[in-house]
Amino acid sequence: MPGQAVESQVILVVGGGIAGITAAVEAAETGYDVVLLEKTASLGGRVAQLNRYFPKLCHPTCGLEINFQRLRGNARIKVFTMATLAGLSGARGRYKASVAVSPRHVNANCTACGDCAKASQTQVPNPFNYGMDKVSAAYLPHPMAYPMRYVVAPQVIGTPEADAIRAACKYGAIDLDEQPKTFELAVGAVIWAVGWQPYDAGKIQSYGYGRVANVITNVEMERLASPGGPTQGRIVRLSDGREAKRVALIQCAGSRDYNHLAYCSRICCLGSLKHAAYLREQYADAQVDIYYIDIRAHDKLESFYRKIKADPQVRFIKSKPASISAGENSDPILHGEDTLTRELYDRPYDLIVLATGMEPSAHGVTPALKLSTDDYGFVVPEIDEEAGIFAAGVAAGPLDVSMSVQSATAATLRAIRAVRTNGAAAHKGQA
Amino acid sequence: MMQATQERKTGVYLCGGCGIAEAVKLDTLEAVASKEYKVPTCRRHEFLCSDDGVKMIKADVAAGSVNQVVIGACSPRVNAERFQFDDTQVIRANLREQVAWCQPPGTDDTAMLAADQMRMAITEARKSSLPARHEGGPYSERILVVGGGVSGLTAAREAALSGHDVVLVEQSDQLGGHARRWSKRMPQRPPYAAPQDNDIDGLIAAVEADPRIELRRNCRVVKTAGGPGKFAITLSQDGAEHEVAIGAVVVATGWRPYDPNKLGHLGYGVSPDVVTSLALEDMLAKGSLKRNSDSRPAQNVAFVQCAGSRDPNHLPYCSSICCGVSIKQALQIREADPDSSVYVLYEELRTPGVAEEFYRAAQRAGVIFVKGSVKGVGADLTVTIDDALLGEEVPLAGLDLVVLATGMVPNSAGMIDGAQEQPAVPAADIDPMSPIAVAGYAAAPPPAPPRPPATQISVAGVPLLNLQYRQGPHLPILADGFADSHFICFPYETRRSGIYTCGPVRRPMDMAESAEDATGAVLKAIQAIRSVSEGRGLHPRSGDLSFPKIGLNTCTKCRRCSVECPFGAIDESPEGFPVVNASRCRRCGTCMGACPVRTISFDNYSVDMLTSMIKAVEVPDEDEEKPRVLVLACQNDAYPALDMAGIGRARMNAYVRTIPVRCMGSVSMLCISEAMSSGYDGVLLMGCKSGDDYQCHFVKGSAMAQERLAKVGETLKSMALEKERVQNIEVSIADAHKLPKILDDYLAVIDRIGLSPLKGFG
Amino acid sequence: MRTIAAAPAGSRTYDLNFARWVYQNVDGGDRLSLCMQCGMCSGSCPIGTAMDHGPRKLFMMIRAGMKEAVLTSDTIWNCTQCYNCVVRCPRQIPVTNILQGLATVAVREGYAPEQPTAKFAKAFWFSVKHFGRTDERLVTAFFYFSFGLVEGIKRGLANLPIALRMIKAGRMHLGAPHRAKGAADLRAIIAKAEEIEKRERAQGAQQ
Repeated sequence: MPGQAVESQVILVVGGGIAGITAAVEAAETGYDVVLLEKTASLGGRVAQLNRYFPKLCHPTCGLEINFQRLRGNARIKVFTMATLAGLSGARGRYKASVAVSPRHVNANCTACGDCAKASQTQVPNPFNYGMDKVSAAYLPHPMAYPMRYVVAPQVIGTPEADAIRAACKYGAIDLDEQPKTFELAVGAVIWAVGWQPYDAGKIQSYGYGRVANVITNVEMERLASPGGPTQGRIVRLSDGREAKRVALIQCAGSRDYNHLAYCSRICCLGSLKHAAYLREQYADAQVDIYYIDIRAHDKLESFYRKIKADPQVRFIKSKPASISAGENSDPILHGEDTLTRELYDRPYDLIVLATGMEPSAHGVTPALKLSTDDYGFVVPEIDEEAGIFAAGVAAGPLDVSMSVQSATAATLRAIRAVRTNGAAAHKGQA
Repeated sequence: MMQATQERKTGVYLCGGCGIAEAVKLDTLEAVASKEYKVPTCRRHEFLCSDDGVKMIKADVAAGSVNQVVIGACSPRVNAERFQFDDTQVIRANLREQVAWCQPPGTDDTAMLAADQMRMAITEARKSSLPARHEGGPYSERILVVGGGVSGLTAAREAALSGHDVVLVEQSDQLGGHARRWSKRMPQRPPYAAPQDNDIDGLIAAVEADPRIELRRNCRVVKTAGGPGKFAITLSQDGAEHEVAIGAVVVATGWRPYDPNKLGHLGYGVSPDVVTSLALEDMLAKGSLKRNSDSRPAQNVAFVQCAGSRDPNHLPYCSSICCGVSIKQALQIREADPDSSVYVLYEELRTPGVAEEFYRAAQRAGVIFVKGSVKGVGADLTVTIDDALLGEEVPLAGLDLVVLATGMVPNSAGMIDGAQEQPAVPAADIDPMSPIAVAGYAAAPPPAPPRPPATQISVAGVPLLNLQYRQGPHLPILADGFADSHFICFPYETRRSGIYTCGPVRRPMDMAESAEDATGAVLKAIQAIRSVSEGRGLHPRSGDLSFPKIGLNTCTKCRRCSVECPFGAIDESPEGFPVVNASRCRRCGTCMGACPVRTISFDNYSVDMLTSMIKAVEVPDEDEEKPRVLVLACQNDAYPALDMAGIGRARMNAYVRTIPVRCMGSVSMLCISEAMSSGYDGVLLMGCKSGDDYQCHFVKGSAMAQERLAKVGETLKSMALEKERVQNIEVSIADAHKLPKILDDYLAVIDRIGLSPLKGFG
Repeated sequence: MRTIAAAPAGSRTYDLNFARWVYQNVDGGDRLSLCMQCGMCSGSCPIGTAMDHGPRKLFMMIRAGMKEAVLTSDTIWNCTQCYNCVVRCPRQIPVTNILQGLATVAVREGYAPEQPTAKFAKAFWFSVKHFGRTDERLVTAFFYFSFGLVEGIKRGLANLPIALRMIKAGRMHLGAPHRAKGAADLRAIIAKAEEIEKRERAQGAQQ
């Protein structure tokens, strides 16, 4: 590109979820150096926390394993976990990125042997299971964590327990004095793949999340159904351990709603169809009711909808439920109007699952990133090749996994072009 | 560098950390290496992956005393980046996850397992070498784009901007495809509420002006030979044929509207004023919305959604764009004529993502949305709707125009002008109509809906690229007619290396998504060119330098390798010998598993290597009553699951000996017979899920293994062995928690039928 | 389970004129077009069982042009204006205002002559307009006798025990209705408001 010397060809990928991982490996396999930043202790993002994918009901860890193999074998990729982008200055081809790293208190010596966990008594909420269970204060984020390295929770730092944890490690891997630090990197282009967070279901006041027992969210359902989850994959009620056989799945819990998320989150319908399959797989006598406005099983995914719809034990009720109240035996009661029959229902369930939507992770993008966002917080699809900064995945809109991968692959091409020394003319276009 | 011709200098390095030294005596393991195998260099370290440990290995490599490293420590899935040494083959013996972490420390069985792990690893080292890369140049960097619609134009432009020469082939005389017909397009910019200008002309102009893009209109691909990096593609244009050298191909052949003549039940044909979305688009583009019948202005318009789509008798899938298109057109009609009445008749309104605002914009503009099914359309255009929300049938009368929102049919094969539609092309591996095939669906699975006759989901016409491959000229398609792609995790991966599909030929999508998809496909194309020109394998074994070599002197020309290759990488010479196209190869080893005379091998992976590893295990005599069971585990799913069982400190059966394999497809039945004749009591194949919702990364590896296994019964019978001794189970990567029981149950079967009578003969 | 059986009488063809009229003329009607028929309003209604259609279906009937069925529906009268639906509506439609607006239309166009809530509203309005407050006896008498003389006496007698107890408890007094302070000013304000409304409606009709 004319007038701009490319001083660094390194591509900085911010966010280690499926979009960020994809961007990193695709760029590296095309011959470019990549620095991948991940805010949490392990790569994988939201997909690592999913039990299975729709429509094949296969395991996200299967694809992640391949991606981790690609990462492991590729010397071009440098991964920093517990790291965020604190600042960015400069221009395409010569950005200075300032990276903030929070303390993990475990250094690269860690072999993941687990002796530290044995020395820890304090139990802290397990972030991987959305706090539905607890882990030792020295813990491995999850069995497929990448990097395979423990974390010491900040809760015990400064206590005698922390010293015991340090003493238990034979490899000198515990660093209790680690401080937050910042370092600078020279990079040529940035891929912004910071992903999403589940919408806070507590904000949907009438659904009683957090107030009424046995009302959970869809992401919690994923952990509940997962063998690595708080119940080892048994879909039971956390209140009393009872099997959840009568289950209501509530679509658009927050999405398509001016009071919450005005857009449609795209994935929740398919997610709930998948939850119906989990329940029917686990309990022969499960009765699943899906409450919906429109079932948005776009393209090929329609066949998944048709499969689930053919199951007589899964009912589809066109209704946006009005409220949830607490009933007897900790059964939540769902209230609303069935719009096709005009029936006003008050139905008790064992478990009610709110299909909450996706909210873009970074509300308000770092100004230095030169990306503009729409009112929802998604990066506007105006591609500015001259800036060399590109959004990928859910940062750019509510996408499913496959679309996030597409988006990340496209962003990778743009980023590569931005750091090519013999680059072609820049052009501004639209995604 | 350790090459086949060089002297092999193996060094064995044992780690005592992470509980390994507590679980087994390192002395015994060292003895296996130095005494049994006479390995000259054998060292140990209490913390091998530390800087100090790695330095120790590096020093030996640098000194030239070691050119092949065997590491007895943790799983190969961890610390791969630590244990990397220049030009040196590294082999890992998993003593941690699959020994120390899942066996009781200090027992004889644990010691035997660890010793066998070392024997297998050292044997693997002896039977393999650092792969020499495939040299097959020269390679072309040029990219062929097939199709001149939004996807193809975008692909061509993106590739050219990225510094690649492009040949863009369009079969008609005009660029732009369907997009050229759109008067406006759906909004992509906030507030996502109004139809947006169609910028296709700008894109066409940019492509036409790009000196890197060689534009060929009225042109078709008539023949494709070669492979990634070196495709030889014959184009036919104006009656003449040209051959071009191409590095990678982007297929962007798009879609065609579903044939409205099949939609008589929705009124197509009853009146000239029942039209398709595209016909309406033409009217909107002309700026005159008039009835075909009497040229009166069309003021009252109803859109019938899902005209053909979501209908098992027509298109089983949702065409994705029709809701947005109708909303766009409705808004245009409302804007042009404030007195117009516009209805959208839908069953499920699908405006995913930010398009929800577009839906609201139409509502705001007074478009009436009616949920229900259309029961019929009369000659006077009265549409009868079973209004689901009112709960009654309501006629919609006084309409001037009824618009059928017809769906997308993928152009996954080319049309021959005037030719009859042809029967379906084969290789439909996924059945979108099949019932849920989830392992263990507790109740009987719901009944499958009636499957449409094959003709309705078939792709008619000539092969798009006319591949000169042993496996046929077509690009594989899925049962719904769309081009095959690994549609969740790796959407660009097809079964034909170096050929990437994008846009609506792959999945129904709108213009914006098509452009994004095309951009991604170009990245994959560039990456493929770069990888193959360096001799590296493509996804999923990206970067793998090994490739299959066939010893033609022993080849029997049985053709199993060329038939079974999931990627069509092996052709046949006129004499009937297999010819490997290394750049098409994905390195799964299915050919190796298929070969009955074990004459196909990789530098670092062969039947000889596997059988030698199998035989390296010390099988106790019958009177010791310690069974031995061989587990051949898929490296990508079952093996990580076994690791994770260890990470979870599950107690695993100590009689199991595990060898990771690239894919179940690479397992030769000779491995099984070797194992049985060596006195193993059984063999368990642990592969991925096969069938409609297959999870095999190489598409049909586990299906192949099952098929081959069906024939092993005869072999076992001839050896006087029970057929239960050899079993195949499907294991997913998330099944770590099930593995201890799976293995124990299997050992219980062995226990029941008794130890193998063949012990001691091996 | 509470099921409401009533359906609007008879099918008719879709007619957008009524819907458009409502969008333009009923308070809050401009947002009504955004209704996506999710059922949140009807499901949230505490007295949903006492409504023949509920707001959600009523809105669909408006779109279908069922003017008579809409304006004779008890849904518009039985709304207690708790605003549950308004707070929860995902499209932020002022459901309560619209129902109220439709009630006004129904009265104006004579669709609600026998509607008890309409009668009560008139009685209430009479009292407020003339006395600046509600007088229990005045409102009930006005309301009861709007059903006719015989019915009025019957209803009055039926509620006599309650009236007596209220008097005993000091919740109702005998004698002339109290007039609120400034009632005359209020009347003037109301008269002005009515005049403005009349003028605006006349202008609206011209447009």
